[in-house]
Order: sequence, then structure tokens, then C-alpha cells
Amino acid sequence: MTLKRAEEPLALGLAGAVLMIAALLPFVFLVVNLVRAPAELSAGLALLGSREPWFAFLRSVASSLVVTIASVVVGAPLGLLLGSTDVRGGKAALILHAFPMFLPPFLLALGWFYLFGRSGLLGGSAQTSDALFSLAGSIAVEALAFAPIVTSLVALALQNVDPSLVEAARVAARPWRVATRILLPLAWPAAALGALVVFALSLSELGVPMFLRVRSYAAAVFARLGAVQYAPGEALVLTLPMVLISVALLVLERRLIGPRSFSVLGLRSAEKSTLPLGKWRPPGTIIAWAAALATLFPFVGLAWRASTGIAALGDWLGSGVRNSLVPAAIAATLLTGIAVVLGRAIALGRPGATALDALTVLAFVTPAAVLGVGLIGVWNRPATQPVYGTLAIIVVGFVARYAVLPTRTFAIAVAHASPHLEESAAVEGAWFLRRLGRIVIPLQARAIAAAWLLAFVFCLRDLETTILFYPAGSAPLTVRIITLEANGPEPVVAALALVHASIVAAALVLGGLGLRRRKAE
Amino acid sequence: MTIPIFVDRLGFRRGARDILSDVSLSIGAAEVMAVLGPSGSGKSTLLRIILGLVAPDRGLVHLDSQLASADGRILRPPEERGLAVVFQDLALWPHLTVRGNLAFGLAAKHLPADDQDERIARMLQRVSLHGKQDRYPADLSGGERQRVAIARALVLEPRALLLDEPLSNLDVALKRELSSLLKEILPERRVTTVYVTHDLRETMRLADRFAVLEAGRVSQVGSLDDLLVRPATAFVRTLREDAGQA
Repeated sequence: MTLKRAEEPLALGLAGAVLMIAALLPFVFLVVNLVRAPAELSAGLALLGSREPWFAFLRSVASSLVVTIASVVVGAPLGLLLGSTDVRGGKAALILHAFPMFLPPFLLALGWFYLFGRSGLLGGSAQTSDALFSLAGSIAVEALAFAPIVTSLVALALQNVDPSLVEAARVAARPWRVATRILLPLAWPAAALGALVVFALSLSELGVPMFLRVRSYAAAVFARLGAVQYAPGEALVLTLPMVLISVALLVLERRLIGPRSFSVLGLRSAEKSTLPLGKWRPPGTIIAWAAALATLFPFVGLAWRASTGIAALGDWLGSGVRNSLVPAAIAATLLTGIAVVLGRAIALGRPGATALDALTVLAFVTPAAVLGVGLIGVWNRPATQPVYGTLAIIVVGFVARYAVLPTRTFAIAVAHASPHLEESAAVEGAWFLRRLGRIVIPLQARAIAAAWLLAFVFCLRDLETTILFYPAGSAPLTVRIITLEANGPEPVVAALALVHASIVAAALVLGGLGLRRRKAE
Repeated sequence: MTIPIFVDRLGFRRGARDILSDVSLSIGAAEVMAVLGPSGSGKSTLLRIILGLVAPDRGLVHLDSQLASADGRILRPPEERGLAVVFQDLALWPHLTVRGNLAFGLAAKHLPADDQDERIARMLQRVSLHGKQDRYPADLSGGERQRVAIARALVLEPRALLLDEPLSNLDVALKRELSSLLKEILPERRVTTVYVTHDLRETMRLADRFAVLEAGRVSQVGSLDDLLVRPATAFVRTLREDAGQA
């Protein structure tokens, strides 16, 4: 009986322990190492005393802010258009537009390069190439890659708005006023959440600035972990300003967005109220589809360049696909298990759950370079080589960085379900594990599948975490593509990028079909 | 100005199910018509068709003898019909204050700011909410929210008011309070009213006439006496019994 009573705290404790080992230890390492190594600390602080790192840091923060603003300016109206109006094919346009957010942005940068680079399909001039290989080019590529995050969150939020709020407004005002005064303000928590995610991802972004030869702070940290400029102590100190940013983002999320995200996002298939555009429907449809297709435009470049590289794919793929799929699948499964226990605890306000939720948010908004330095410090020891020297370290990295995604997905699903379902089972004498197995999991199977899929595709898209510590000879596909980009044949790099995009598309299509089937059931 | 509403042979289908079949009703100017029916009888759909939020598959909606919807088409969009609505869940916009909720429709009519302020102040006074114009819906009690919803509808001086089960989620005391308010305010405004509910007791002392909808069809239309003395169906008899217990 006592053990049964302890089932729930034990399960939450286990999920918490895994999270703390994966996500909290790296932060503890960073702090402890700085305190225990005063020489490194003072050398690093001297480095931070110079102008150069601060200039790079402020430049990265500023460019991430511009990316965020551009993503919101494009994504929020587009989310409104695709999420709550009667534009033709809005759902299909939203799916196509959203696809690039599940890919590493540097794949899109590659596509833009094959379109507008010196030997590109549409470029060929120094002007287009120079524009691409600049800070402005990097910002534009990132904004186009990240805007779908804001679009999708806003569209999802608007689909969950109570239809009577819209109908009460429609009785009194024209659709434009309803959109700007009612719908957009109601969607602001989603837009704000999107802005926060975009800012965090942009500040972490390594691939795009590296490929477009734009200096970024994350790349400066990464460079000090590589062979040429190897200086792990400096890398450690350089992460300090980024930690401050992470904490600021965490506070922002807690104060402004956290609780609201539960009312914003959900898997509810509520009755939807569509805003009729009337005579503006044709131009609205054109704008929506143009914006949706613009984010897919880089695939034209990739496909064009890959046309001569597909035949040689077999020689270059190596074990990249396996190295991507295996850790992503294992991590997604582990993360989903954590999400079921922790997400439910967050939704039901169990003690300790809020702190663990904050930890998952912190690990996600923290630039990957910071987390990576911490993970290397924790796991790169003789005793832990079975983890650090194998694909297991990639799994640990994924668990640390992406726990928030499936956890929040599941928490929102539980928050939207009636608490009485589980309470009735408890009254009938079912203990935690039985309730979980017989009530929560079967009822939330769709949310669990969605959580797994989200975790899986985000693990697949990862570059900036794994590039810091992937085991020798076990490079995932994203890492393989960016390393080959420097000295490999372009057609093969483009073909590999298409392989990656196809794997993600296949996962999303299969997952989407599975989720639709479950909904129908 | 208050107007008559006339719906003629309305039909509305969703999938294989007829939500409304051949529904015809005539509501006179300034008349209060209660539309009664069990859950799923099509009451709210009828209301949404009159509002212009959905088009009827078949049939006509006339507002003040002007054709507003006809056979699958909305000829006058909702915002041009001059109607107002109070939904069951009130649908108060959570990001707007009480004043903001009342001003939304007035601003859409391009009313000068002074006129808006005056109308809002008068209406808030009328529903005993003066001094609460800067509160958000979340900061109000259930009864206050209900009164804001009624004030938001009436401040527009609508040609007709549509109420969709406005009291169904309230406790007995609140129901009584709001029912009294409606009883005072509707005759005072002389506004055509369609009051949709499943509970005859809510509308017994409020409505001039009653229409009963069952499975998407009108089963009886008449005065309270007609319903109580000559119930046409078993459902109307149930209504009578419930009303008798009140």
C-alpha cells in the first residue's frame, strides 16, 4: 500500500532525475568549474573585458532581435490569414509553409545559395551573392526559416479561440476590425511564445552564420571547442553572457507566457469560426499562398543542384541517416515517457513540477553552445566514455535540450481534458500507475503520438547541439551535410540535404496520418 | 428602431443530419419570442442563421421586410443587420475592459468618442455597473459579467436582440436577478427579442409568444396559455410540468 502511494512521487522523481542529469548538471558544471578554476576564470574575464567578444555578442543579440521582429511581422498576420479566414486551401498552405521549421535552417540557406549564389540558378551575379553572404542575408534566411514557427503558433491559437468570441464581434463589426481588434490581441500569447522560441533558436543558430560566413557569438564559442582555436576555458567564460540571456528569457516566459500557453495551444478539435474575407478572398488567397510557397522556394535550388548528385549519394551517405534516426527515435521515446509523467504533473499542479518545467524551458532557451560546453564538461571523462564516446551522448543532449516540447504538448492536452476522468478512477481505488496505464495513456494516445513526433523531428533537425560533441565517425546527417558543404561536391551536398528533408517529410506525413486516424477513431 | 423578423421554410443540414427542416416563424416588431426546445433541437442554429453567421441551405430570412439570407446565401453580412446577441457563454472579450467591450461595436459604427462615452455611461448606470468600466471580465463576478454581456448588446441600440440561453449556467439567485433585469429592460427598450432556451420558466413572464422546436421542426407556436392548456407534443407537456413545479 505504501509503495502504491509512492508511485506518483517516485515516477515524477525518476523523470526529474533524468532531466536533472541531462539538463541541470551541465549548468552546475559551468558554475562549479568557473569557481574551481580561478585562473581560467580570470583569463576568461580578461577576454570578456575586451571589446571584441561584446561586439560579437551584441551583434548576435541584435541580429536575433531583427530575425524575431521579422518573423513576427510576417508570421502573425499570416497565421491570422491561414488560421481563421476562408482563404482557399488555407490548411494546405499552412502545412507547406510550416514544413521548413522542422528542418535545420542551414539547409534552406544552402537552397538560397543554389538559387542566388555566384553559380546559382537565378543569380550568377556578384550582387545577389554578396547580398546572400552578408549579415542582412543571414537575417533574411533565418527570418524565412523561423517565421513559420510564429505562423503555426498563431494559427493554432486562433483555431482554438472560442467561436462565440468571434461571432459576437462579427455581429457588430466588419471582418477587418474583428481580425485586428479581437483575433490578433487574443493570439498575442501565441505570437509572444513564437517570438521567444525564434529568438532562442536564432541566438543558438550555428549553421546559417557559418555557411554564410557571418560572424556570430555562438560560432565564436564553437570555434574555441574546435582544433584550430581550442580553448575550452575561454569557451566556458564566453558562455556567461548567453547564460544571462537564457535566464532573462526564462523569466520572460514565466511572467508573460507560461500560464497563457495552456489556453493558447491544444489538440482540441473545437468548432471553428471562420472569418469571411468577402471580396478580399482572392487577394488574401494569393498572399497566403505566395508567403507559403516563398518558404519552400529554397527546395527549387536544392532540387536543381542535386539533380547530378543523386547518383553518387550511396558513396557519401555513410551512416549519417542511421546516426540521425537512431538517437532521435531513442531520445523522442525517452522524452515522451518523461512528458507523460511530467506534463501531467504540470497540468495538475503537482509539487515540484513547476520547477522541472522551468528547467526544461531554461535548457531550451539556452543557446546550444552553452548547453554543449556544459555537456562536454560533464560527460567527457574516462569513466563516462561509454556515454560520451557513443551515440548515447547525442541522446543525452537531445533529452536536455528538447524536453520542453513534448512535455508542454502533453501538459496542454491533460489541462484541456476533464480532471474527473482520472479522479473517478482514483475514487474506485486505482493507484497512479494503473490510472496512467488504463485512463491517461489510452485517452491521451493522440497527444502522446504528437509529443513523440514533435520531439523526433526536432531531434532530427538538430545541428547546433550535436555538432559540439558528436562521437568520432558517428556524425548525424545534419553534421555530415555542413561538414561536406565546406569541401564536398555541391550536387552531393544538395542531394544529402534533400534526403534529410525527405526523411523529415516522411516522418511528418506518417505521423500526421496516424494522428488523423486516431482523431477519427 | 425595432423591426419584425420573418423566417420562411428554413432548412439546414450538416452531414447526414437535418438540423432544421421547414422552420417558419414570424416575430413582430418589439415582440419577445421565446424559442424553446431540448438540446440538439436546432435552436442555436436558428439563431445563428438569423444573425447571418451561417447561411441556411434552404429558405429565407427577412429582417424588416428586407431579404437578409436566402437559399445558401448570406445577402446581408452580420455587421449590417443591426442585430445584437448575448451568447450562453457570454463571449466577453477577455483582453478588453468593460468599457472596451461596450465600445467595440460603437466604434465600428464610427460613433464620435463623446457619444460613445455618453452611451456607455448611461448603459452601465442602467445595469448597475457604473464605476466598473475599467475592469476586465476576469475581475468581475458572474452576475456582473452577465450584465456586461446584456449591456454590450443593448448599447448598440439594436433593431433586434437575440439571446442564446443567457441564464442557463447561472445559480438560482443569479438567475432570478438577471431575469428581473431582463424583465425591466426589454419592455423599456421595446426591442424585438428572440430568446432561445430549454427552460420555459425563464421566459414565462418575459415572452409574448412561444415557439417550440423539436428535432429541427416547429412543433407548436402560441401564447403561454396555448402551451399550458393545449400542449401539442410530449415535450411541451414536460415543459408544462416543469413550469408547474416552479
